[in-house]
Amino acid sequence: MKVLMLGWEYPPHISGGLGTACEGLTRALSRHGAEIQFVVPSLFGGEHAPHMALMDSRGGTPKVFGDLTGKYPATAQPKKRKGSKAKSGIKTIRIPALLSPYLRPESYDAAYQAAGSGLGFTAIFDLAVESEKISLMLDDFEEGVGKARYGSDIFKEVARYTAQVIALCSELEFDVIHAHDWMTYPAAVALSQLSKKPLIVHVHSLEYDRSGEAVNPSINQIEHFGLHAADMVVAVSYYTRSVIQQRHAIATGKVRVVHNGVYPRTVVQRYRSKRLQGRRIVLFLGRVTFQKGPDYFVEAAARVVPHVPDVLFVLAGSGDMLPRMMQRVQELGLGAHFEFPGFLKGHEVEEMYSLADVYVMPSVSEPFGISALEAISFDTPVIISRQSGVSEVLAHALKVDFWDVHRLADLIINALLHNELRQDMVAMAREELKRLRWDASALRMLELYRRLA
Amino acid sequence: MPSVCFYFQVHQPFRLKRYSFFDIGKDHDYFDSDKNEAISQKVAHKCYLPTNQVLLDLIKQYRGAFRLAFSITGTAIEQMRLYAPEALASFVELSKTGCVEFLAETYHHSLSSLYDEEEFREQVRLHRELMLEVFGYQPRIFRNTELIYSDAIGALVSDMGFRGCIAEGADDIVGWRSPNFIYSMPGRSTRLLLKNYRLSDDVAFRFSNRGWECYPLTAEKYAGWIHSVSGAGDTVNLFMDFETFGEHQWASTGIFEFLKHLPGEIFKHKDWNFATPSEVLELYPSRAEMAYPRVTSWADVDRDTSAWRGNRMQLSALEQIYDLGKAVRWQNDPQALAIWRKLLTSDHFYYMCTKWFADGDVHAYFSPYESPYEGFINYMNALKDFKAFYLGRGSEEEEKSGG
Repeated sequence: MKVLMLGWEYPPHISGGLGTACEGLTRALSRHGAEIQFVVPSLFGGEHAPHMALMDSRGGTPKVFGDLTGKYPATAQPKKRKGSKAKSGIKTIRIPALLSPYLRPESYDAAYQAAGSGLGFTAIFDLAVESEKISLMLDDFEEGVGKARYGSDIFKEVARYTAQVIALCSELEFDVIHAHDWMTYPAAVALSQLSKKPLIVHVHSLEYDRSGEAVNPSINQIEHFGLHAADMVVAVSYYTRSVIQQRHAIATGKVRVVHNGVYPRTVVQRYRSKRLQGRRIVLFLGRVTFQKGPDYFVEAAARVVPHVPDVLFVLAGSGDMLPRMMQRVQELGLGAHFEFPGFLKGHEVEEMYSLADVYVMPSVSEPFGISALEAISFDTPVIISRQSGVSEVLAHALKVDFWDVHRLADLIINALLHNELRQDMVAMAREELKRLRWDASALRMLELYRRLA
Repeated sequence: MPSVCFYFQVHQPFRLKRYSFFDIGKDHDYFDSDKNEAISQKVAHKCYLPTNQVLLDLIKQYRGAFRLAFSITGTAIEQMRLYAPEALASFVELSKTGCVEFLAETYHHSLSSLYDEEEFREQVRLHRELMLEVFGYQPRIFRNTELIYSDAIGALVSDMGFRGCIAEGADDIVGWRSPNFIYSMPGRSTRLLLKNYRLSDDVAFRFSNRGWECYPLTAEKYAGWIHSVSGAGDTVNLFMDFETFGEHQWASTGIFEFLKHLPGEIFKHKDWNFATPSEVLELYPSRAEMAYPRVTSWADVDRDTSAWRGNRMQLSALEQIYDLGKAVRWQNDPQALAIWRKLLTSDHFYYMCTKWFADGDVHAYFSPYESPYEGFINYMNALKDFKAFYLGRGSEEEEKSGG
């Protein structure tokens, strides 16, 4: 099985769980015989992926590792073309991105004509694909719309990635296209139409998860477009499948659930012995954004502190809600009980998980929540919100509705007061982790590939 | 002239309500009267009332040749009095036929035999009084919580004057011998009745299992298995939860039809009869001594006490609640004593059991909690308040001067 995977990040250069999940899944898939070509927007060096061909969408200097050799097409870098006149005989692939309605394939040309006469395009690429000329149009890639949450150039990045992927991959051989999250959907859909190969879009999170009701309409639309255009949708949890159905009206039969897994770790005893000496630590580790529920963590802390005087709450990570959280901690007079170490990486993350007495994941809407499994793999018991996919697969955890800060505080206090509770949870959860292996996810994934290809 | 000996266990715990850490010091009532009432009503209507009607009809139909025994805990009787008096009346009516024996056990279905000998004797005494009061019956055979038994517990039971005791016919204990004979405690005349767990569990656990090679189990087939013991045993002891009928095995599985037809099928073999545990001891001699060097029970495949004492949470909770025994009894506050004893009921610790929890097995099925951890947290919160409020009342001054 030859799989072309489109991803947005790969360890160690990651911003969240997406890259970790892609690494876990591809490693297991390759163990079970899948040949994977994985394209990310950029490689930074330091990526270690001997199990597949990991490629930079910019092409140029190929950074290919291991036995599989990613073939780079002779096609040069996509040319950016000014103006918007379509030449006759040129096949046009149009990806609606901003504020434009979802277009059906037969209306591309009509829309293109209409657009040519009025609306402006900021990104048009001419590509040579299988001796055909392709004009790829990305509507209105205007700066600023996604600025607040995603940085100024996310849509430009998506446009660039889309064009480069089409140029890069049109000469690759593959049986199925597997795209991870919305940033890769435009490229995946275009490639699927060009190659006539089946498309699986893999939903690790939705705009609805990240932003609640305040969705970015453009991203929401790209997701909608990708989910509808795909031949199959894979959700990381039943929770996410239900959100996909509700928000995007995708039929149940088209959405399959493949839970994430985790790889075993060895607990670093050096970190553990530090835990015994210091204060009792309650850990939040993740992006400090609406989706992750840091505010519920802080409100629960205010209820815990009066009963556990030596407790220390560590709110690790960065994000748009961080300043507000710091301010709220001051308002509540909890300064002496809080630490904000910022964004942690690599060994810092491992050390933090190991030091914590309990890990709290109070996510408002969490498609999976791989960090809960990571915490357990460092022998730290977890309290997770019921609004998470991981709560479907993890029995040996304490569970709470994210809004119920009273109950969350009750659970935190008890977890801190009773060593026997923490020890039993960790012992049982470790056994449970052995069953949540990426191998199981990969086997399920392979079965889905075979069904499509 | 072999016998079929039926004994059914009737028990309901006083379940705790959701009790948060923040209720400590404010709320001193720990029990979920709504849930306990709802469950009592449900069990009464699905199991107790319809099964007792079948049993009463069978006793009348066979003019007393159909006989059986119950062991009913004090907490079950208390809840029937509170929430389902019609169910209690149906047990009383059965008792009047003279065909029903009542066994003794700890009033609160506790693990006191493992933790507190004084409390154990007291709870057995309370239960004997209750049997006398409710059924006018003086139990002669003892059955410990969940059939928990060992030589040490046997000695206690023997010293209390019981003629016999029920125990699990666990494979590693019984060995090559058969559970279908009467045995005696080592060095004592007190007898042991061993549960035939294969035949008992065929009904209690496997009856409606479509994956079982013997499915469907008819009364005729089952009676045939029992009859095959002829010549190789004196008694087939079928001991099970009463809720097998109508609650664990729903009426739609045909369990009631099975029960209705079983005596007729047994009687087709002229040698066979029904007898209660006391009658079995009258009818047959002890064949040998049976030693129980380890603590056994009828729970899970392990037939040990790990369902209640298998993890740190359970051991810690048990140790802490039993540690209060001396203080509670010394304080002699009837309300505090009653609450403490309800907290001793073994079910609270069963809910904290973590083995197989993730597999969603019977432990999860019987638990009012989402996880064993929540069971533990709830219990420890209530226990903390109990200590501070009910035990703190008399000893506040002492504590202040001491620390």
